[in-house]
Amino acid sequence: MKQIEHQKKGQDMKFRTLATSALALTLVTGAAKADTGAVLETYANIAQAGYADSLTTARALSDAVDALIADPSAETLAAARAAWVAARVPYQQTEVYRFGNPIVDDWEGKVNAWPLDEGLIDYVASDYVLSDENEFAALNIIANPSFTIAGEEVDASEITPELIEGLHELDGIEANVATGYHAIEFLLWGQDLNGTGPGAGDRPHTDYAAGDACTGGNCDRRAAYLRAATDLLISDLEEMEANWAEGGAAREAVMQDEAAGLSAMLTGMGSLSYGELAGERMRLGLMLGDPEEEHDCFSDNTHWSHYYDGLGIQNVYHGRYTRIDGSVVEGPSLADIAAEADPALDTEMAAKLDATVAALGAISQAAEGGFAYDQMLAMGNAEGEALIMGGVNALIDQTRSIERIVAALDLGGIALEGSDSLDNPGAVFE
Amino acid sequence: MRFALAFVLAATLATPSQAGVAEALDDHILPGFASFAAASADLEAAARSDCTAPALAASFHDAFDAWLVVGDLRLGPSETGALSIAFWPDTRGFTEKTLASLIGAQNPIVDDPEAFAELSIAGRGLFALEMLLFDPDYSDYGTEDYRCALAQALASDLARQAAALSQGWSESFASVLLSAGADGNARFLSEEEAVRAIYTQILSALQFTTDSRIARPMGSFERPRPIRAEARRSGRSLTNVLASTQAAVDLAEALADWPLPETRAALGRVQEAAEAIEDPAFGDVDNPAARFRLEVLQQKVAAVTTAIEAEIGAPLGLSAGFNAQDGD
Repeated sequence: MKQIEHQKKGQDMKFRTLATSALALTLVTGAAKADTGAVLETYANIAQAGYADSLTTARALSDAVDALIADPSAETLAAARAAWVAARVPYQQTEVYRFGNPIVDDWEGKVNAWPLDEGLIDYVASDYVLSDENEFAALNIIANPSFTIAGEEVDASEITPELIEGLHELDGIEANVATGYHAIEFLLWGQDLNGTGPGAGDRPHTDYAAGDACTGGNCDRRAAYLRAATDLLISDLEEMEANWAEGGAAREAVMQDEAAGLSAMLTGMGSLSYGELAGERMRLGLMLGDPEEEHDCFSDNTHWSHYYDGLGIQNVYHGRYTRIDGSVVEGPSLADIAAEADPALDTEMAAKLDATVAALGAISQAAEGGFAYDQMLAMGNAEGEALIMGGVNALIDQTRSIERIVAALDLGGIALEGSDSLDNPGAVFE
Repeated sequence: MRFALAFVLAATLATPSQAGVAEALDDHILPGFASFAAASADLEAAARSDCTAPALAASFHDAFDAWLVVGDLRLGPSETGALSIAFWPDTRGFTEKTLASLIGAQNPIVDDPEAFAELSIAGRGLFALEMLLFDPDYSDYGTEDYRCALAQALASDLARQAAALSQGWSESFASVLLSAGADGNARFLSEEEAVRAIYTQILSALQFTTDSRIARPMGSFERPRPIRAEARRSGRSLTNVLASTQAAVDLAEALADWPLPETRAALGRVQEAAEAIEDPAFGDVDNPAARFRLEVLQQKVAAVTTAIEAEIGAPLGLSAGFNAQDGD
């Protein structure tokens, strides 16, 4: 009772704020409701197409890996690397589905975990620094057919998808990445030992050679690891594509509740923009000034990974995705709903998404011109800092507009309905 | 519909209510940064007169205490500025790596404040200083040692950063918050946005305490992680949980211009739960009973969030915006 009185007092003091959201609610109810189901369907269709494209390009990578293992040469290694880079294009555009959708978020760690202590997987240079948090940072699964973990002998004589899946995030440490794109990236490129100087990882193709030609030792086991990691990536992507197909669990979850579905879309856009990409992947790396603090640190493909993340966010807003074969998946969009609620806000959001894609594009352009992302991270490199912070600031700026859309659509209020705190404010203290 | 109409009608009669934002700034945020700047200046002065670890411990704790009043804010000048003052969690050992490299090379950067400010954030701020002053691998140094100059450089850099942050808030960002909704304010298009920004900071701070300050050392039941406790070297892990929760509640009370009795009571229950904790550095979490007490503390901090959502969020129809920890 006391509680309610205080709230009433609060309402009196702040009703101007409340009135704003009440007004927004009356604007969107009715008009938008009819479209929301179709908007969510577009969202699910783009996810399905994105994971299907990721699967197609992962299968192409798998063929290239077969060719590399069968006939290791500079050419087959280059072809496998090119296939990996191509596979990142659709996958990164799906990252916007992560944060709003628990099914994706729970699964994502197997596929795109980063950063990694790569010494878990294979040989590393002698100056590889161990952290006191991870006793398995230099385990080297490839060199060791058996090893001991917490007193238990692990039989790693055969490197299978099941084995590496079981070793992923070993000892509960996220840097023990045994599977996914970045494990494969390490196996194709090796460590980038150039620091903040030019050049990416330079693993020789002879790391996969038979007999005496083998470099780095255990070439057969390295090939088995690469094969297993690629197979696992494919089965993981198959699983996620099915989740977004008609009747799939992720699609059903989004379609189930319109407000929650819209909220998932906006949460994915905002969390990827702000906490993950602007914060964790870009600004933190810059402030640490460590060349390993780039998302694709072995291949120096980071600029494209960031760019396609940004593009994926834009895709979700406009309900439009260009597939790898050039065809387009599109339909009613979040932009339509936002424009109905507040045309100026829609214009603002669209402009900010454009600005981010442009800022991330500028990083890519510089990187493709020979100024690699890890060089931009070098301490005191003003030009690199300006490029990266350009992306960071654009991402933060667009997050504010995403928050405005959340407020304009009154999704917070809708999500609160049925929760204890709104229906019965006293209940949460019982 | 009837309610909505009533609110709209009321809005036309009301005068704008800016009290929440102004009070959050005047009662909590601005004095908080001013105190932190003063405490950091004291630490710098102390390091100038005696750089050895035992001599600096008290000033270090004072500066850290002052920091926690405003340290969880990630807004305005603190959006980036907080990172180089408190780089934690350090999951990959960057702080040790950076310190070891500076000391190993006897890097003359300690004599060049401008260059020092360009150093990796892992080698600056409170946590680098903590390792130097409290880790037995580093703390045993005399006045002729390179580490003496490093301690002085770290303290000076901290004081410089603290002053810049305080100035950034009081001379620039405060007016951006206060002019929310005014013509020309592109950052906050309405007063509600400013209120929401501060509200988001309060909830994010509490989330950081439950999800990082407490959950990291807790680990799993099978695998507790005492070495992941925040500021364990200086024995401040529990202090930091309490001070940051207190700061979140103080800021909430400043933001709301009505009383928050449930929130205040929830804070009391956090303090009670803390009294049961035996090791202030959470070093005993591999003992199931100790781990359970930490879990209780975590639940009590989470209950503060629930109370603030009910006492501020619900009546204002506010939900938190995105926060800096949304990544992983």
